[in-house]
Amino acid sequence: MPDVQPLVSEFVLKLKRRKVEGSHAVARQTAELLRSVVSQHRMGSTNQAAALADAVRGVGEQLIAANPIELAVGNIVRRVLHIIKEEDISSTAVGIEGLSVTAESDDEYDSGNDDHPTLSAAVLAAHARNALRAPSLQTLLEDIPVSTALSRSASSAGDSDGKSGDKSSKSRKLKHDVIAAIGDLIDEIDTCYDQISEQAVEHIHQNEVILTLGRSRTVKEFLYAAKEKKRSFRVFVAEGAPRYKGHVLAKELVEKGVQTTVITDSAVFAMISRVNMVIVGAHAIMANGGVIAPVGMNMVALAAQRHAVPFVVVAGSHKLCPLYPHNPEVLLNELKSPSDLLDFGEFSSCMNFSTQDGTPLLNVVNPTFDYVPPKLVSLFITDTGGHSPSYMYRLIAEYYSADDLVVRRKSTSS
Amino acid sequence: MEPDASSAAAAQNPNPNPSTGPPPISAYYQTRAEHHAVVSSDWLAHAAAAASLPPSSDAADADAASDAAALLSPGSNGGGGGVIEEFNFWRRKPEAAEAVAAIMALAAVIRSSRATTMMELEIELKKASDKLKSWDATSISLSAACDLFMRFVTRTSHLEHEKFDAAKSRLIERGEKFGEISLKARKTIAMLSQDFISDGCTILVHGYSRVVLEVLKLAASNRKLFRVLCTEGRPDRTGLRMSNELAALGIPVKALIDSAVAYSMDEVDMVFVGADGVVESGGIINMMGTYQIALVAHSMNKPVYVAAESYKFARLYPLDQKDMTPAHRPIDFGVPIPAGVEVETSARDYTPPQYLTLLLTDLGVLTPSVVSDELIQLYL
Repeated sequence: MPDVQPLVSEFVLKLKRRKVEGSHAVARQTAELLRSVVSQHRMGSTNQAAALADAVRGVGEQLIAANPIELAVGNIVRRVLHIIKEEDISSTAVGIEGLSVTAESDDEYDSGNDDHPTLSAAVLAAHARNALRAPSLQTLLEDIPVSTALSRSASSAGDSDGKSGDKSSKSRKLKHDVIAAIGDLIDEIDTCYDQISEQAVEHIHQNEVILTLGRSRTVKEFLYAAKEKKRSFRVFVAEGAPRYKGHVLAKELVEKGVQTTVITDSAVFAMISRVNMVIVGAHAIMANGGVIAPVGMNMVALAAQRHAVPFVVVAGSHKLCPLYPHNPEVLLNELKSPSDLLDFGEFSSCMNFSTQDGTPLLNVVNPTFDYVPPKLVSLFITDTGGHSPSYMYRLIAEYYSADDLVVRRKSTSS
Repeated sequence: MEPDASSAAAAQNPNPNPSTGPPPISAYYQTRAEHHAVVSSDWLAHAAAAASLPPSSDAADADAASDAAALLSPGSNGGGGGVIEEFNFWRRKPEAAEAVAAIMALAAVIRSSRATTMMELEIELKKASDKLKSWDATSISLSAACDLFMRFVTRTSHLEHEKFDAAKSRLIERGEKFGEISLKARKTIAMLSQDFISDGCTILVHGYSRVVLEVLKLAASNRKLFRVLCTEGRPDRTGLRMSNELAALGIPVKALIDSAVAYSMDEVDMVFVGADGVVESGGIINMMGTYQIALVAHSMNKPVYVAAESYKFARLYPLDQKDMTPAHRPIDFGVPIPAGVEVETSARDYTPPQYLTLLLTDLGVLTPSVVSDELIQLYL
């Protein structure tokens, strides 16, 4: 699809230059781009789902490589791949069962209806469920060896497509369904703030003291929602050096009439004994329940643990990443410009590169993220509700296919 | 055996006895051996000799079967009947896990069965699996595999729609493929583990585990640079066999006595252990010593990874160490045990889930809490 290539390269460039701020914007724009990739994709006669997934995978690979730290890109690519697989399976099953096209929705598949009228449909549905679900003990002994389930289901989908009479309408339908599902995904990303902040009153009680670090839009909306429901509470905002986004948040909260106290990051431990709950945002949630969050968060989490204060992370489900953190402090981090910390004019003499071995005596390290291990997190609040860190794998199994963890274009198919 | 310990001791004691053998025995150790007169230095020499032995050909299957074999007298399986003979036949094969042997034996029961309905077949299978389980009540993977296969027979939805003969042949076929599934599971686990092993890391392993060996083998063939510390694995010295195989692969390896784990934990980056069984809490049952290694690792903030195939997931929920059928084993202290002294002969211990970081299984990388979820999905 040469028509979308300019769009793709434009977005890649934006990601590379860090022009897109925040995982929400990244997730949304990725989803929109993938929607246009799908809509521009010319459907072939056979194996359409596989070809479509491959096109998405190709674009996804470029996007992920452009900024591997921005995990939301990969999450959305994987979500779209999962959507394609789901839609393909449901449309194939619909074709065979001879049910009306509109009646079948994703929800029916999730609930796992076992009472299919005919053998072939039952077998097919079982296969479909297996292909969608991560490998489990249940499927260990069943017909399809787990790792080949994908290729099996892809090819079987292709075959049954070949058998069905009206190919063109069918392919149009698949594409249409996928585009609609991606639209739903975009809606979901947009409404995640509302979904999360709806739960605010369950967690923030009268006269409580909340502590947060830096500025997260999700946290802001969460606190706003509690305020709108007439809860009175106080908020300590740690300023979030070196970007001082906490100042912005404090201003916004005051505008809504929330009692706000700004503290330095280094005062977190001093204040934590007076706090009832820590509520923070995240950059990404990893598969083990660990959190990639703005720098300083681990310190806050440790302080909270020391005083047994609940440490709550609010995050939309687009931040849920199916990968495990390997050496996250280094591999999933980004070092920003030292100008955030030091004024170049004042310190320019210390940063002289002409000293004896060519390195200046003064070094500045300005990491963007912290990794908070799962044992320090008390609760995650996502758009689907509150979950403990050990439950994250379950959400991940719902949103992603196990074989999409590595987004790489298969070289065999066109 | 322990160059660091001996050199440290030598530094304290300026004039140790110049030792003659290749592994210098520290003055500290010799004094201790003299004073207590319990642990003689000759078992050290014995251990060194064992380390230099070539691996025996049937080394592989001894691991899974070791508790069972140690427990049972050779004559006890005489009255067992067909299933048990079949099971023993498969168990002797190298590379075959106990679970595979159990499923092969059950598949053989189906093949020789004269049942004409699914119900009859199920009853027959149930009898056979009960017989197998009672034959060796201590083996977790044996009973887990029996349960898994029984569940497959009674639960699989495809079977209901087929004719009896077709269903029967499908069951036999699946049973016979299980050997492949088991081998493939090890490969999958090895692949999944590669991300966890980074260049320059030091890995502590305990005892001999085929899965862990496969993981390290693959890492070595991926040209990762890492070092392995092997515990000795008393009283079988299975750790020495492990170190032998690792050394043969060109991996830098150091053997430790089991009590040197805490001493060496400083330089360890991660602990890799296998498991005899993974229980419903997400904890593991494994060779004696795993629990204390996990405790030490936990208190020093080192990750503990468990490599285990998913067919080892068992429906057990041990509440403490003594809450399982104990697997006893003869323990050779190398010297006569004084009269009136009792010997702890359990062969394995239970490591609770809070001391484990992740389970690397063929179902993917799992946190310990996923295990109960998987088991509930299957058996509920």
